[in-house]
Amino acid sequence: MSVLSVDLFIAALRLATPIALVAVGETFSELAGVINVGVEGITVAGALVAAMVAFFTQSPWLALAAAVAVGMVLGALHALWSVYLRADHVVSGVAVNLLVAGFALFSTRIIWGWRGTSAAAPTLNPWFLVGAMLAVVAIAQVFIFRTPWGLRLRVVGEHPRAADTAGINVYRARLLFTVVNGALCGLAGAFLFNNLGRFTDGMVGGRGFIGIAAMVVGNYRPLPALLAAYLFGFVDALQMRLQAYIPSQFSLMLPYILTVVVLAGFLGRAKVPKALGKPYVKERG
Amino acid sequence: MPGVEETPGGARRISQAVRMEGIVKRFPGVLANAGIDFSLDFGEAHGLLGENGAGKTVLMSILYGLYQPDGGRIFVRGTPTRIGSPAVAIRLGIGMVHQHFMLVPRLTVAENIAVGWEPTRGPLFDRRAMVRRIEVLVKQYGLEVDPTARVEELAVGEQQRVEILKALYRGAEVLILDEPTAVLAEQETEALFAAVRVLKEQGKAVVFITHKLDEALAVCDRITVLRKGKNVGTLPARQATPARLAELMVGREVVFQVRPEPVESEGHPLLAVEGLVVTDDRGVQAVRGVSLVVHDHEILGIAGVQGNGQKELVEAICGLRQPQAGHVSVGERDLTGASPRKLARAGLVHIPEDRQQRGLILPFTVAENAVLGQECDPRFAIGPWAQARRNIARYAQELVERFSIAAPSVRTPVQALSGGNQQRLILARELGRGPRVVVAVQPTRGLDVAGMEFVWNQLLAMRRQGCAVLLVSMDLDEVMMLADRVAVMYKGAVVGVWRREEATKHDLGLAMLGGKGAVA
Repeated sequence: MSVLSVDLFIAALRLATPIALVAVGETFSELAGVINVGVEGITVAGALVAAMVAFFTQSPWLALAAAVAVGMVLGALHALWSVYLRADHVVSGVAVNLLVAGFALFSTRIIWGWRGTSAAAPTLNPWFLVGAMLAVVAIAQVFIFRTPWGLRLRVVGEHPRAADTAGINVYRARLLFTVVNGALCGLAGAFLFNNLGRFTDGMVGGRGFIGIAAMVVGNYRPLPALLAAYLFGFVDALQMRLQAYIPSQFSLMLPYILTVVVLAGFLGRAKVPKALGKPYVKERG
Repeated sequence: MPGVEETPGGARRISQAVRMEGIVKRFPGVLANAGIDFSLDFGEAHGLLGENGAGKTVLMSILYGLYQPDGGRIFVRGTPTRIGSPAVAIRLGIGMVHQHFMLVPRLTVAENIAVGWEPTRGPLFDRRAMVRRIEVLVKQYGLEVDPTARVEELAVGEQQRVEILKALYRGAEVLILDEPTAVLAEQETEALFAAVRVLKEQGKAVVFITHKLDEALAVCDRITVLRKGKNVGTLPARQATPARLAELMVGREVVFQVRPEPVESEGHPLLAVEGLVVTDDRGVQAVRGVSLVVHDHEILGIAGVQGNGQKELVEAICGLRQPQAGHVSVGERDLTGASPRKLARAGLVHIPEDRQQRGLILPFTVAENAVLGQECDPRFAIGPWAQARRNIARYAQELVERFSIAAPSVRTPVQALSGGNQQRLILARELGRGPRVVVAVQPTRGLDVAGMEFVWNQLLAMRRQGCAVLLVSMDLDEVMMLADRVAVMYKGAVVGVWRREEATKHDLGLAMLGGKGAVA
């Protein structure tokens, strides 16, 4: 079949990139005990800010840095709400998503005069970001399972009190890794901008959420999460080619159906950190 | 040897590790420590004895930096010190082994001990160096444990050794053990005592928090008794007798024993287990064909070292785990694998081992917990949607009075109650349902003398009323005192059943370790 070609496997890697970045980011924050469903919104924000900065400065490098920075700021915002103010993690994450969605429509209108779409802007070669993603996955894998800070990270999410008595600042660790998560989501957004050359509303299309699914399938390990992300990317690439044969309304469903099916199989099996989503209250008397 | 100084005369002088003076600690509504003096020397094991709520754990939590005292002073090695956090305590060489272990089950022993003080090679965590360091400690203190094992695979006693090793690895010279034997079986307790003696010989200062007199007497050099937040006496263990200590602890003579009055069974089997086979969480057979019968007016005790299938047996009986084979019947009815609700309707109630995880919902109120499992009962529900709150509150109030539960009100969340009162509430809820069969697991674990007596008397009252009681306990004395018959479990099987009159501690102990048993 002409659909299954080498191109398909290469395209799959490209489409897996934002998903894998989000998956690794979420792995960091969830291992520290912070659920962040705001990754979808942070990815949108990364793409939007990348488009803005590239448009105004004509520098795709500055755009990349800005996307990562805005991801970090939104990650910090989520950490402020969920870690320090002890808000429900999901509610806080949804708030981030809504905030960004509103801001995207508003700002494209103000800047370019179109609702939800930017003008074209200079980009980097997206393959550069694919390479960056692969490096991130490899570094994350080693960091989490082979370094002292990776060990501390895992203890913070499993048993924050034990971490606390070991002299680790639980709040600061959670903030730090939620900011790292934000940075990686910002990077995912930057990739999407560089891939398309502009920002459009809906361009993220649930890839943030699928990234969380890839993290679950990868069972909180970056390398397996990359494989899961590749599977999603592959189906995405496949559906684009299938549009020649079946109505696009159906082929577009495929990645999402896959997400639901795969999650149903893996959700119960993942080794969820014990203190995930639970605010840590220091014992003080 | 640290802490022990050689004087010119050649005699060893033991130096003071810690002195606490006039420690005061208030919590809302409670004066937990009312000006306590306490001192601890290097090379000694110091027993801290007292009933639940006497202030033992609070005092030691202050020494470990978990709480800040409202008054008083702390000297560490003679220097006045403020201990603002556990991290500070650890730097001062003070370590604490909590009742609830601070371990991550999914990580290895080495990882758990290393966290915060990891040896590195370049940027990486040097696992092999860590394992070697632990092996050195293991050898030095005789605390046998495999550093590469995952903590979740270890027995409770081993996990406790990991906690002690963790404190030693962090440089503890002062080691606080909070109720260390509460979770241990007889043999593990002996091993712990041996470890404490080694620690002492190596010059460490050990605080041994307990409410069991015989333990304090067995390992400690000095014993301090706390009562209601006050130090009511510090005495050398040589001069202490159980009666003297008990008097200090409760301020009155206590009855250590309850004596079951003779009751005639009518011979109806109320709980029958036949050829039960149950697997544990890993899918390994934990119960290998157990058959038991408990009659009316009878207490059947199950003795055994923890981890010999008792947990799985009880879970299979109580509908919390599906057996692979065999039958469970309550009265005449076969209820193998029935839901807990069905079993409860048939008259079986369960007093679970882990009260805080399985017995209660801690953030819920006393009233809500009092009707758990009966919330759909027409007395407590208005149709399918609404609670009959007034009835629930009235019923809870009734239980609180009948079982003398010390709770400020039935609207208090149960997490605010002491351990003893939490257990009373569970007993009140379960026994208040008028059961025919009672399954009680470690019902007096962690309770003080008064609490134990209360639980024992309740179980005996159920027996008097005609219930069948299955009592699973790691405390051999408890089983031998209460049970009409004692079954011993070893490696998932019942290796023998004794009548109380015929049971001796020696025989049961032997059977618990896999020796031959007699069948009655």
